[in-house]
Formats: sequence, structure tokens, C-alpha cells
Amino acid sequence: MSATHLGVITNNQHQVFQRAVIAGIRQIAEARGYDLVIDSYADDEAHPRPITLDYRAVAGVCVIADAAPAGLLREMVGAGTPVSLVSHQVPGLPIPSVSADNYQGIAELMRHLVVECGRRGVVFIRGVGGQWDSEGRKTAFGREVMRYNLDVPPEHLLRGDFSAEVAARSLQALIASGAQFDAVLAADYRMGIAAVETLRRAGYAVPESVSVVGFGDAEEAEAAGLTTVAADIAEQGRRAARQLISQIEGLPIRGMTVLSVRPVIRDTSLPDGPARAGRR
Amino acid sequence: MRASTANKATHSQLRQHNRQLLLRAIYEGVADNRAALAQETQLAKPTVSELIGELIDEGLLVEEGRGQSTRGGGKRPRLLRFVPAARQVIGVSISEDHIMAALAYLDGRIVARHYTDLGGARGEDVIAAVGETINGLIAQLDAPLLCIGLGVAGVVDAGAGMVIHAPHLDWEQVPLARLIADMYDTPAYLAHSTALVAMAEYVYGPTEPVHCFAVVRVGSGVGVGLVINGAIYHGGGEIGPLRVGDRLGSLDTLLGWPCVRQRAEALRREHAPSLLPGEDEPLSYLHIRHAVDNGDRAALALRDELSRHLAQVFAWITGLLTPDHVALAGPITDLGEPLLEQAAAYTREWVGADPLRPVSFSLAEAPSLVAVGAIAQALHRELGLV
Repeated sequence: MSATHLGVITNNQHQVFQRAVIAGIRQIAEARGYDLVIDSYADDEAHPRPITLDYRAVAGVCVIADAAPAGLLREMVGAGTPVSLVSHQVPGLPIPSVSADNYQGIAELMRHLVVECGRRGVVFIRGVGGQWDSEGRKTAFGREVMRYNLDVPPEHLLRGDFSAEVAARSLQALIASGAQFDAVLAADYRMGIAAVETLRRAGYAVPESVSVVGFGDAEEAEAAGLTTVAADIAEQGRRAARQLISQIEGLPIRGMTVLSVRPVIRDTSLPDGPARAGRR
Repeated sequence: MRASTANKATHSQLRQHNRQLLLRAIYEGVADNRAALAQETQLAKPTVSELIGELIDEGLLVEEGRGQSTRGGGKRPRLLRFVPAARQVIGVSISEDHIMAALAYLDGRIVARHYTDLGGARGEDVIAAVGETINGLIAQLDAPLLCIGLGVAGVVDAGAGMVIHAPHLDWEQVPLARLIADMYDTPAYLAHSTALVAMAEYVYGPTEPVHCFAVVRVGSGVGVGLVINGAIYHGGGEIGPLRVGDRLGSLDTLLGWPCVRQRAEALRREHAPSLLPGEDEPLSYLHIRHAVDNGDRAALALRDELSRHLAQVFAWITGLLTPDHVALAGPITDLGEPLLEQAAAYTREWVGADPLRPVSFSLAEAPSLVAVGAIAQALHRELGLV
């Protein structure tokens, strides 16, 4: 390892989001003459190991989401190591970051559900408590609930943990309770796909009686026909690598680079179907 | 010596003006070849050829195929196309608590935005933060940087690029445009943030181009911005200190957010029980909207008061300037169309509807309007586009 290496800290390099971010980082790094050193410490999620990346031996470090604790980030900043975060921010620490626009994305999804699909009983499936994207999307959901004057009881805010299994279990429990709702907004697309499957298994017609949308996009979401807002994840990685390399080259950067998202209307939301509504 | 410098300045200004005429004609699709450009702009053909050659060398134009031959059967002209990706522009909005910058191509397409929380920074620390925010987008450049546009609330001398007085940032006589131009070795343009909102809404908003376009922006204070004949009129700015009457006080005390907060609390107590959040809870215009939508008397009274104060501003503007269109911008737009409709109705009642000059009203709700306006203004100044 040397000044021609960039470090990447992630919990699990094989997960969809992390894999796409790393691909984007690698693309820019290689074009600019850097090799990557990846510390993926929880590939085996049941047995995570400590972070071992020697940040002093690399030119700079990209940290994906909240993979590095604030203490380690503080240590790296103190040692003068350039750092860029992807989809994360730590209040009080002067580390720049790159993120998708969570507020814009949730606002687009809610406008679609309320204005275009005519839904008012929205269930929200949350991500991981305390995680940057998750908290941003939850706050944005709360704002849009006020904007459209929706009645969302606390039991309609479901635990999801960015996990298809957890999301499915939470939704099953809600269905079993006999709750009335006509839309589900999931804080990521995997939970959105799980919601569609869970609802259909329980006998709900999606999208005729319940509209389902999710945040973020990937081939799986396209295959499932899920309506989403597309955040180009590899682009987040590319932008983070550019941010990191610029810092290495001596450019002081503060704040967060925010990338817009794009609504992708597919088959799980409009009750009349996207083709009939002329919006595919 | 002085005369020679003046001549040079005039010559270079003329050249710049002619380049802008040509670029704009191609950008707007008015002409797409040298002969048509000469005809359209009334410039001599050799001048057109020379400047077009220069613009092609700089990558702003490309030759692409050939057009139809003239009626006389002449040679088919080489077609010219504007290249929006040849350069990029950064627009920066500096407000009391944060900086928002946007990076765009020459057609205004935004590539990325960069947000920096000021965390209470004031004075020179804000200037450093502006640099570190712009750096965030310098890192993301895909093409050479053409110029930087800057927007600040306060008293601004746009011509001199100087922030005269911005107490919320602890800035007095800050030559911001020059500081940023020196830092990046690129032209930088400064304007009042509300003027830039007007520019953004005029250039990229849904309203048809009109002669006189006004924006009223209501947030922590109250500002007015004007676009007249497609260009920013730099005479607007902060109007919050204007007194409405001896009894009512200034516009800031009626519409500025700190005072709206206080008024909300007073009305909440007066009309208890109320759906408005309590004194120590978070309050935003969306909270007020939510309470209004549920028939809350305190919130309804507050919205009515705000619409009357807004109508006062609209009435002044329409009475003095008879604009074609007035857009309402800033956080207050979260109160939605009913607020605007109420304010417009009061305005018409007070001013009297002139059937020959009906003023239309709209909400300007798009995000990052100041930064987008700074981009539009920079494109206007540097290339004569938009």
C-alpha cells in the first residue's frame, strides 16, 4: 500500500448498494492511477471482524454509509488523512460526503402516491434507525404527510432495517392486525419488492387496491416492476472518488454533494396501470 | 494612453457583444449557419466567420453536416450546433445558516448540488466556507469552468460585485465577486438572492416570458426581485425594514419567520386547544399548513393575517410597477396555493383590477432557486445566453 492506493471501508462489499458504489469508485480511481484497498469487515454478517485498514498507508479513504464509527473517522481526520463519505454525514466532523437527494426522492414518491395514484392511507417502511439515509427519508416522509394532510397513525410506520425479511414480517403483522391502508412506501427497493410479494400473498391486488413504491433502483426492482426513484449508485461512487482525489490533491472541501433522483413509474403503483395512464 | 486603453476596452466589448449575438442566435435556433447568422445579426460576413472560427476552436460550437442549398442553388452551408457540455457553470446561494451551490452545463442542466451547513459561522469563516463549497463542485467538473454566479441576501452592489451590508453573515463591504474570481481565476458575478430567484423562475420556470416579472421572497426576512425585459433589475432586494404603518411596524415584524413564530404562539394560546405545535416544539410552515387543513382556528387566523401582509407587498408592487406576473418564493410557499389565492384576492380588492393589465400570481417552489438563478445570471453575463 502507498500513496497510489485508495482505501475503501464497507461493511459488506457483496451487497447491491456497496457493490455498485465500489464499482463507481474503482472506475475513477483506475482512470486517475490509483489502486483500491477494500476493507469489507462483515462479509460474514454473523461474524464481523474489526476494521484493519491502515489509513496512514493510503492516500485517502472512502467510507460507505456508516461503516466506520465516528471515533475512527475522527482519528483519520486528526491524522490528516483525506476522507470522503458515501450516503453518510457525521455532525461536527469536517468530512465531505456524497449522497442521493433523500428529500427530493421521498417528495417525488409521495406526490406520485397522493396526486397521481389518489392514495391517502400510506404505510411507511423505515430503514435502519440512526443511519443517515434512513433518518433523512423518515424525516422527509413526515414533511410530506403534513403537506398532504394525511392521517398516518404510529402503527403505520413499520420497522424494515433495509432488510426484505424484516420488512415482510412487519407488513404481515400489520395485515394481521386488520389495519386499513391503500399504499406502501418502502425506504429502499428491496423492502418495496418484499412488500409487493407479501401483499399479493395475503390476497391484496397490487396496484389495483394497494400502491407500492420504493426508494432506489436496480435490476431486481425493474424485474419486479416496482415503481421507484432511481438514484444512480455507481455515480455516487464515482463522485465520491472524485471528491476524495481532489482532497488528496490539496483542495479543501466541506459539506455534502447531493445527486438528484429520477422517478421511474412501473407497474406497482398506478391503480389503472402505467400503460393506460400513459406514463411508462 | 488613456484613450488607447478606452479604445481597446471598446473593441473588446464589441467583440464580446458580437460573440454573444452569434452564440445566442444559434442557441435559440434562430440561425444555424454562417450566412444565416450574418443576415440575422447584421454583422459583416468576415466578422461572422472569424468569430465562429474562434467559438469552434473554444469548443462552444461544432460543425455538423450540411444544410439545404440556397434558392439560387449555392453551396450547401455547413451547419453549426451549440455544445452545452463544452463548459460548466457554478451558482452559489449564501444564506444565514447554509450555502447551497449547483453545478450545471450551459443549457442549465444541473449535474450536482453541494450543501454546506454554516453551523453559526460568520465573517471571514463564511468566505472560507464559500470556497470549500465551491471546491466540492470543482471536484465534480466534467468540463472547464466558465464562470461562477453568487447570490447573497442583504445590501448588494451587483455592478461592483460587492456585498455592502449583510448583518446575518457579519459582512460589511465584502468584495465577494473579486475574492471568488481571484480564487478560481474565473469571472464571478454577484446579485441579490431574491433577484436571482426571479431570474431562475423567469428563465427556467413555467411562466411564459413577460416584460416585467416580480418575485416576492419570504423567509427570515422579505425581499423583492425583478426581471425586466429578460434581465435582472438590480434595484430590488430587502424590503423587510419598510414600515407598513405606525401601528403595525415593519414588514419583517409581520412576515419574517422569527415574528411569524411568535405570532403563531400567541394565536395558539388565544385559540386553545390548537393543533399548532407548542412553544418548545419544532414549528415550520408545513406544521401551520397541516393545522389549517384540519380546520384549526389559530392556524386559519395566522394564514389570514399572513395573506393580508403579503397582499400589502403585492399591492405596492402592482401599484408601482404593474408587473405582468408576481411569483411568491421562499419557505412560506409551504403554505400552498390557498395562501396565494387569499393574498391575490386581497390585492385585487385593494388595488382594483385593471382589465387591461391583469397580474397573474404563482408559487415558485422549485429547489435551490437562488443557485439556479446564479447560474442563469452567469450565463446571461458571460455568454449572453438565457
